[in-house]
Amino acid sequence: MGVWDILINYYPAFLSGLGVTLELSAIIWFCGIVLGGGLGVLGSRYRLAIGLPTRTVSFLLSGVPILVFLFWLHYPAQAMMGVVIDPFYTGAFTLAVINIFAVADIVRGSLNDFPQQYLTAARVTGLTREQTILKIQLPLIFREVLPPLLLLQVMMLHTTLFTSLISVEEIFRAAQRINAQIYRPVEIYTALGVFFLMVCLPVNGFALWLKHTYTRDMSEH
Amino acid sequence: MLSVRGLHKSFGDKAVLRGIDLDIAPGTITCAVGPSGTGKTTLLRALGLLDFPDSGSITLDQVQYDFPRDPKTPITPSPWPRMTTVFQSLFLWPHLTLRENIMLPARNCNPDAERDIEGLIRLFEMAGFIDHFPNQASIGQRQRVALARALILNPSYILLDEITSALDVEQTAKILTKLGHLKERNIGVFLITHQIGFARRMADQVVFMDGGVIAEKGSAEILAKPQTARLQQFLSMVEMVY
Repeated sequence: MGVWDILINYYPAFLSGLGVTLELSAIIWFCGIVLGGGLGVLGSRYRLAIGLPTRTVSFLLSGVPILVFLFWLHYPAQAMMGVVIDPFYTGAFTLAVINIFAVADIVRGSLNDFPQQYLTAARVTGLTREQTILKIQLPLIFREVLPPLLLLQVMMLHTTLFTSLISVEEIFRAAQRINAQIYRPVEIYTALGVFFLMVCLPVNGFALWLKHTYTRDMSEH
Repeated sequence: MLSVRGLHKSFGDKAVLRGIDLDIAPGTITCAVGPSGTGKTTLLRALGLLDFPDSGSITLDQVQYDFPRDPKTPITPSPWPRMTTVFQSLFLWPHLTLRENIMLPARNCNPDAERDIEGLIRLFEMAGFIDHFPNQASIGQRQRVALARALILNPSYILLDEITSALDVEQTAKILTKLGHLKERNIGVFLITHQIGFARRMADQVVFMDGGVIAEKGSAEILAKPQTARLQQFLSMVEMVY
């Protein structure tokens, strides 16, 4: 049985796993970009009240391996609280928290490092506040933030595989189940690689296109 | 008239401006000369209301701004772009073409901006690069664009901070020649420069700054016949270099 035979025979299981992976990714991406973006903006505006605590949490999270954090929330935390939460939600929550703080870091850093001289130039040429934000600040910050943000989101897609270890029925878990039935690891994990290529290549391609289109070299010589 | 009275400014316990009085009339060029670190740029930024002085007042055509004042409070009425500044580092927006750099602010205050930019393109010989991005233009080309971006706003006063410092002799001469047009347009110019030759030929008023004060002030004549020993010493050093 070759790779394509396995893909054809077991496509419902693969599709189901892929669906869960994409659903998980969508939640992580949405929370990360919306909440993390908002947190980053607030952290830049209120540096002491929001920026400092956000940076502290982000620093602590960066010191804990994702798998440990995931397992801790899945087993000890739930045991301590006396609750049982669907692993899908535990996985989504864990990875969303990581993504939120990572996105907040990128956005806050970009806002804090924004070259003030461009704002001064806007002021002395009489641009309105709205023009300064819409025509100067946002486009420049967008260009600054875009490449690391897209790379982070692709990385977050990859980390969804960890949730298979707490029994989330995502694509890696689906592949493991099929392998347990027919024991064809070479073909099955090759098929899994093909699946990931099909999902990640368009995202990576889109990221590259955006980067090429909007983040040209702006340094002056 | 752009006037300042009794300007003081300190950074920590270092007094950078110590009681500056100055008048800049429309249609005149005032050149500020002096050694580095004597408060010229601080004065320019205070004049431009970009950094507030600790005390004193700035009057821009009958509107008086008194200091000290809360730096977070917006300045009303806004002095910009009636008074504008061209910085040493130019601060062109890197994501906009040079044309867009000029036109974005111009559309706010100049109904004839589309027509005027064509005139400025001819005046500053910018046709060959006006649709490039700032990083695709040479420093000399960017200097001309920065000056054009200020001019199209039809300001009454322009503050220029060593705008030719990064240029070679030929490009410096080109830019400085264009400054003559500002006088013709009745614009009051405050220019920080190390080009003593230019100040001698074009300045209506020269201020020599030293130690946070105006050590000597007068017509361009003071550069030929300095009254103070400090200016004499400064000019002799300039002549040694140039």
